[in-house]
Amino acid sequence: MKLISKIWVAITVLLSFTSCEAQIKNEKTETVKIYGNCGMCEKRIEKAGNINNIAKVDWDVDTKMATITYDSKKTNQDAILKSIALSGHDSDTFLAPNEAYSKLPSCCQYNRIAKVPVKVNTVASDTISANSKVDMTNHTTAENQLKAVFDNYFAVKDALVKTDGNTASAKATALLSAINAVKMETLKTEEHNVWMKVLKDTKEDAEHISGTKDAKHQRDHFDTLSKNIYELIKVSKQETPTYYQFCPMANNGKGANWLSKEDVVKNPYYGSMMLSCGKVTETIK
Amino acid sequence: MKNISILPAAILILFISQSIFAQKIVRYDLYVRDTIVTFGDKPKHAIAVNGQIPMPTLTFTEGDIAEIYVHNELKESTSLHWHGLFLPNKEDGVPNLTQMPIEPNTTHKYTFPIIQHGTHWYHSHSGMQEQIGMYGNFIMLKKPTDPTFRKGIDDLPSVPIVLSEWTDANPDNVHRMLHNATDWFAIQKGTTQSYSEAIQQGHFKTKVNNEWKRMNAMDVSDVYYNKFLINGKNESQLSQFKGGDKVRLRISNGGASTYFWLNYAAGKITVVANDGNDVEPVEVDRLIVAVSETYDIVVTIPADKTAYEFLVTSEDRTKSASLYLGDGIKQLNSTLPKLKYFEGMKMMNDMMKMNGDLDDMGMSMSYNQMDMNVVMYPEITGEAKPKSDKMGVIKMTENDYNSNKLSDIVTLNYAMLKSPFKTNLPKDAPIRELKFELTGNMNRYVWSLDNKVVSETDKILIKKGENVRITIYNGSMMRHPMHLHGHDFRIINGQGDYAPLKNIIDIMPMETDVLEFNANVEGDWFFHCHILYHMMAGMGRVFTYENQAPNPLIPNPKLAQRKLFADDRKFHLMAENDFATNGNDGSAMYQNTRWSIGTEWRLGYNDMHGYEIETHIGRYIGKMQWLMPFIGFDWRYRKMEDNEMEKNLFNQTNTKDKRSVFSLGLEYTFPMLIKAQAEVFTDGNVRLQFERMDIPVSKRLRMNLMWNTDKEYMAGLRYIVKRNFGITTHYDSDMGIGFGVSLNY
Repeated sequence: MKLISKIWVAITVLLSFTSCEAQIKNEKTETVKIYGNCGMCEKRIEKAGNINNIAKVDWDVDTKMATITYDSKKTNQDAILKSIALSGHDSDTFLAPNEAYSKLPSCCQYNRIAKVPVKVNTVASDTISANSKVDMTNHTTAENQLKAVFDNYFAVKDALVKTDGNTASAKATALLSAINAVKMETLKTEEHNVWMKVLKDTKEDAEHISGTKDAKHQRDHFDTLSKNIYELIKVSKQETPTYYQFCPMANNGKGANWLSKEDVVKNPYYGSMMLSCGKVTETIK
Repeated sequence: MKNISILPAAILILFISQSIFAQKIVRYDLYVRDTIVTFGDKPKHAIAVNGQIPMPTLTFTEGDIAEIYVHNELKESTSLHWHGLFLPNKEDGVPNLTQMPIEPNTTHKYTFPIIQHGTHWYHSHSGMQEQIGMYGNFIMLKKPTDPTFRKGIDDLPSVPIVLSEWTDANPDNVHRMLHNATDWFAIQKGTTQSYSEAIQQGHFKTKVNNEWKRMNAMDVSDVYYNKFLINGKNESQLSQFKGGDKVRLRISNGGASTYFWLNYAAGKITVVANDGNDVEPVEVDRLIVAVSETYDIVVTIPADKTAYEFLVTSEDRTKSASLYLGDGIKQLNSTLPKLKYFEGMKMMNDMMKMNGDLDDMGMSMSYNQMDMNVVMYPEITGEAKPKSDKMGVIKMTENDYNSNKLSDIVTLNYAMLKSPFKTNLPKDAPIRELKFELTGNMNRYVWSLDNKVVSETDKILIKKGENVRITIYNGSMMRHPMHLHGHDFRIINGQGDYAPLKNIIDIMPMETDVLEFNANVEGDWFFHCHILYHMMAGMGRVFTYENQAPNPLIPNPKLAQRKLFADDRKFHLMAENDFATNGNDGSAMYQNTRWSIGTEWRLGYNDMHGYEIETHIGRYIGKMQWLMPFIGFDWRYRKMEDNEMEKNLFNQTNTKDKRSVFSLGLEYTFPMLIKAQAEVFTDGNVRLQFERMDIPVSKRLRMNLMWNTDKEYMAGLRYIVKRNFGITTHYDSDMGIGFGVSLNY
């Protein structure tokens, strides 16, 4: 018995070798702007920036300014701002990865449009330029305006493959504006006929997908949206082939279709759970 | 008279014609010096060439003649190998094989015509010098008139990049520690995979199963590195580029043992060349660069006033390095999420048979198309779900390991590489078939081909003109980048006539790859695993041509061969001693690929506790090296009260008073890594002993257990504080309970 108690003492002694809290040495303090919205953001920003005994971050919700105190021999402002950006929060030095930003809860998704110079706006500017060209020429641009519709559809699909409700919603908004931008009178006859038929439903589906961030609800509408876009793409000549794909398990076992630019199956109805479920049923050229 | 006047004219004509046809000579002078750098946390010794790490980028144009003068100002010998180049064998730069080492304070001239183009690199082939700075880019440009010149690729601005890693530890020591199966690197990386971690993550069964199959914790790489470097920097920026620019990065992996993932914050990466050979452009989201491979990639900078991160992550994902392309605010790429080690352990358990062979479960694997490691990649197979085991015993198929089918992230594999032109070998040449199995043993860090290291085999004779076809199966648990000197080979990857040309092929566990080349340059050509520590352990072969002329740079071939073989014959020392309140406990081991000399001692502080030393000299048998017959010598002294005698389990008496005997024995490693020793002593006594050392209880806590038929037993705990320092407690049947500190080397 005595032996066992001795061993326990030894173990406790061995395990209690944790270092005590110490002050940050070679202290340097700076104030920088970090983009965020709320108290939740504050917690995340500070957690991402803090390093025991090396760096401490104190972010102010109202001013969006962070006071950063750090050991100047062990780290620097850039390193701290980088790890904060990796958690989803932009600063004036680093832009967060898009995945990190879109994973933030919606209350934390601060307005970052002004911060990304060109890239994020490409979809919008495409549709604008398609619009402006419409007035001047005829058929070639008609293809362009439908192309904007298709491209945005594929963007919605890609977002759903990743089960990324935020992006799907954003892309569906772009899809909606592309649909609204289409000038029916410039379409070819066959396109025109199909367009008249599907316009109302397509618009409604796009509105629903853009109106929610819940991927499940978005997928319900994506099913019907896909069918209508399929009708449309069949009559509209495209430069590259499109693949009409089908997963028998989607939509509660009733099966559902979608369109893809690649023949590899990446199922938008289940995300990573059942990514490769499905097959190509038709190749549209 | 007439003759005399013709002569100068002839000489003149000769000169003129020579200058017309003369190729451009490009000369470089390389001064190799010791230096001190602070890449990690502390200033450490390194080797710089012309004052820089990496070594300077050497640039040539196809058709030039290279003249490279190496001035060795070190205190040790050196050499430089021109990786992936076609050149005369004596310029290849392998010390003791193609030349004698470049001795201190001497100059060696390498000269060869540049007869190819592409991104290559160069490095020291001596000892561990490659690990501490001796790597650099070697770029050979196409002539602008070259018919294979690709507009939109070969005329892009290009940046040579060499990736590397830095360790604060002395690489010779790293090598020694690897051979001694240290888990210090795992502690530094946080990948101990101990029992307490296994229980926390609901993987207790996985861990037990793993040890049952006699495996230590698995990892995707062996060494802990303090920093990863892109052109010698952890973070850097190329601000000369602006929005809309396309940039060609010529990337060489100059790391000694690290595979690197490449990701780009602005999206797709277009691969345009591999190992210096053009390939049809292929667009991917990411690729992994094997040790010593080169890739040329093209990336686009999509916006102004933004710099996009080119992220280079080590395969074990412990750390990364960044290069920002463009000017302005830095757009980051997501870091690669941490590996799910216990998922990997489970996968290894499934693949490992009890006899140590690997079981591919009926899947045929080749050319990196299936990556068993995907089970550990959260971005492909989802976040780790604690305590869920719903997959159970579903039989896995090829598709479950094909990351391109599992996710929408496109990862490059060798089957996607296609040469832009036909690469068929000469049709009527005789074919020579060779087969190799890559073999290895992680516990003892022995790496070999067909279970034989370089020094245990003869050179492989091939004939000039024949087509050599090599089939390689990787039966070891690690991936190996196999490199052939002096030749490019084509890999039979399903692209038919357009099979890509390479000089490195990374072979994952259980893969079978086929490569072939035309034997067209005489000489002794090294074929080896390019992981530095595997190569030094002897994982390679030498190809040599029948009836070739002797190499003028090797005056004494026998001596050279002995020096070459010394690398993998090297013995590694390990020692530890526990200074405890109840005595000194320790051991020392001196081991190489096959032999082991080990001594264990228990020294009490008084005669009653006794003194005891056991020495074993043994040879490891078999691929897994679980069996070791040995001869031993045992000496002990202990004063017993009233001359009492000890009896063992077999009722044999034992005077521990004073005993010095020889012994014959067998050591065998059982499942759960229990080492059993059966030993017969010259005095007729028999002893059976079971021992399990270093059970990983928690990240830093290890437990030891021992029992034998002399009725001796021991149980101990060790808490690892530093690399060679620990705190211990143990109970010993002879010496009772003790506390102490242990030092190990």
